[in-house]
Amino acid sequence: MTDAAPPTATIDEPGLHITGEVALGFPPPPRTYRSVAYANTSPDVEHARWLTVRPDGTVVCYTGKVEYGQNIRTGLAIEVADELRVPLDAVEVVLGDTALVPWDMGTFGSQSTARVGLQLRKAAATARKALIEMGADRLDLPASDVTATDGRIASNADSSRSASYADLIASQTITNPIEDEIPLTPKSAFTVMGADHKRIDAIARVTGAAKYSQDITLDGMLFAAILRRPARAATLTSVDASIAERMPGVAHVVHDDDLVAVLADTDEHAAAAVNMLQSQWQENAPKVSTIDLPNILLESGHDPYLMQEAGDIDAGFASAANILEATYFIPYVSNAPMEPRAAVAAWDGNNLTVWAGTQRPFGIRQELAQRFDIPEPQVRVIAPEIGGGFGSKSPYPAAHEAARLARIAGVPVRVAYTRAEEMMYTSMRPAAVITIKSGFTADGKITAWQFDAYHAGDRPFLGRRGSDTPYDSPNIKVTTYTSDSPLATGSYRSLGAAANHFAREVHIDEIAATVAIDPVEFRLRNLSHARFRRVLETAADKHGWQAAAGSSGSGQGIAIGVDVGSYCATAVTLDVKGREVQVDHVTGSLDCGLVVNPEGAINQMEGSIVMGMGTALYEAIDFQDGRVLNAGFTRYRVPRSNDAPHIDTLLVGDPETPSTGAGEPGIVPIAAAIANAVYDRTGQRHRELPLHRYLK
Amino acid sequence: MVTIHINGAPHEAPEPNRNLLSFIRFEAGLTGSKYGCGEGLCGACTVLVDGQALRACMSTVGTVAGGHITTIEGLADGDDLHPVQQAFVDESAMQCGYCIPGFIMTSVALLNREHYPDRRQIREALSQNMCRCGTYQRILNAVESAASNMAGGAQ
Ligand code: FES
Ligand code: FES
Repeated sequence: MTDAAPPTATIDEPGLHITGEVALGFPPPPRTYRSVAYANTSPDVEHARWLTVRPDGTVVCYTGKVEYGQNIRTGLAIEVADELRVPLDAVEVVLGDTALVPWDMGTFGSQSTARVGLQLRKAAATARKALIEMGADRLDLPASDVTATDGRIASNADSSRSASYADLIASQTITNPIEDEIPLTPKSAFTVMGADHKRIDAIARVTGAAKYSQDITLDGMLFAAILRRPARAATLTSVDASIAERMPGVAHVVHDDDLVAVLADTDEHAAAAVNMLQSQWQENAPKVSTIDLPNILLESGHDPYLMQEAGDIDAGFASAANILEATYFIPYVSNAPMEPRAAVAAWDGNNLTVWAGTQRPFGIRQELAQRFDIPEPQVRVIAPEIGGGFGSKSPYPAAHEAARLARIAGVPVRVAYTRAEEMMYTSMRPAAVITIKSGFTADGKITAWQFDAYHAGDRPFLGRRGSDTPYDSPNIKVTTYTSDSPLATGSYRSLGAAANHFAREVHIDEIAATVAIDPVEFRLRNLSHARFRRVLETAADKHGWQAAAGSSGSGQGIAIGVDVGSYCATAVTLDVKGREVQVDHVTGSLDCGLVVNPEGAINQMEGSIVMGMGTALYEAIDFQDGRVLNAGFTRYRVPRSNDAPHIDTLLVGDPETPSTGAGEPGIVPIAAAIANAVYDRTGQRHRELPLHRYLK
Repeated sequence: MVTIHINGAPHEAPEPNRNLLSFIRFEAGLTGSKYGCGEGLCGACTVLVDGQALRACMSTVGTVAGGHITTIEGLADGDDLHPVQQAFVDESAMQCGYCIPGFIMTSVALLNREHYPDRRQIREALSQNMCRCGTYQRILNAVESAASNMAGGAQ
């Protein structure tokens, strides 16, 4: 039973190959989160193949990006189809297999994806140019007298005179470098881009054919179950495997430094045996609990970083007509992707192949090469379909665990996390405490804005994102601090931007209520940025916003945000019954510039809104004495179909503005919009999430 | 030794206590049914047993001995997708897709017992499943349109 079918592309096939530079804008500029997060990763080759027009006229393009729900495969295929004048179904996209694709830093943020799209368009345009020259030759016409259309080169004068790409390439092998300055197709000539397309991988997803890491099996493979520490800072002092070793199906009990695991013939046998390991642990960390968290964050804040400053903040408050001060709390949240991490590793001599659903196949390849002290090309990391991740699947310990165990066992090994392992031993969205002090006039102009954000975790860039205020004010001081974190933190859709936006957009609503001005009107009075104004006005208008000052009882709320260069506003209408909030209707307006694939952008907005609704209403990871209490869906509630609102999404970007991300901005305003709507409905102001806990 | 039929093919299971999801995925090699929680809470593992939805992760092969199981792989008729599968494609009702086989199986079971479900019934039936990518609106639209296509086609 070998389900790990090799991709259909092979490097030695004939065809028209287009090669080019791999280090697109690498290394990234200092101070961006990518350079801080994964500075250890660098390309091992300078050039690689990006695209091939095969002898049958179909096209395959290659990228180290991975598909984890953002629909990158269809988006890239659309760009290539348009540039190369072939139908969408003639394009195949090979993703995330280090043996086949150009080096890539990883799939996170949106700029790197945009750069890959541009590189593939250049590759496609280079291929088109070569095909036009070949076609002109064949038709005995000057190149200016022929056109590429629908997979053929045709005479402009007589379209019945034509040659297909397949005929032109026949059995040749041609390799051309990307022409960096090649003219790209003007947007006015796009026919595939911008139209609504079904996903090119939809059928595999509805028939069960799509393979995720959890689904990879190899002949002779053993199933691992790993002994996990009870708390983040616990070290193993002793383990007795004498019972576990005699359990049914057990092949080995491995004890390799910090890694203790049972390898067995089935996942069930491995899980049963690992439970029979007798282990002793030393717990070193302070035994803190959820209730201690706000104080820990405030008191441990260090390394203040001045994110934004204008005027003189002290003078601003000294002369302010009104002052409002408030503190906001955002708990830890679990990414909880539907697919828990899994990896399968197989050694062949000193060559290692690992299937791992990571966002960083090349980064994991480098880590594994270093760990086993072998050259990078001897490690192949294949990222299959990924069952969600929302940013968290960059680190991928399962790949290391599987490779170590397979090395020791001498046979392929599968490590698949359980739901509890996925939620307890990976990372969480950082908790945060944010204090805001604002000064404003009676007629609703902000005159002073002080914002201090304390985000948990040792990666300061997480909390800086989205902390700067878009509102006009003569005096501004925004500072972010790095605070100790009792739990492991990591990436999550929009990182700290969601927490910063929650605090800011609730506070803006509080000021509006204080001066008795409608929240939309109040925002407009303080916003000169045109793109912000447009998303706000379009969302309010489409939603049917009813202007009202203070709590109107109707349950409407609004908030705005910016993330990854895209602007977003969200209006909601909801009802509150006891502690249950039913969000009925959400309108999201998104400006992410030029939209390559509207269906994909709308789908991402809807997903961000639902996910953000979970963080607003239900989600929080709890811990007691350093141990996570709710690593599983019994005590960690996420939105379900009966919670889901009706969502209208507007794409209001200017097509002449470059594309920016659509996967993250939708989550930044939604929690505040919901909290503001709860205030509008009930008159109660909530500054702590999740609301479900604080509603009476 | 028990025998179960999966998508029409008989399978021998030596251990009646074997977890049904693990058996389907790793012995029968049908990995379209997914592991999401192992606790009966997410529905990713949903299969049909004699037409009714069952959480495979909470069952053993012994409990379905003699029964006929349909997994996501057994739903289409060759290249012809089941109307529910087709509706998910048409509505682009998916992101990562990991939850989708479970949603489709739950929906097929719903439409087996209730030919004309309204939106509310669909929402309630599907609340047994979880989609962390948040594609509920599309999923509900897909099931609604599949229901009307199937009802229309039956007349
Ligand atoms: S895996 Fe069976 S319900 Fe979640
Ligand atoms: S599509 Fe990803 S969990 Fe549903």
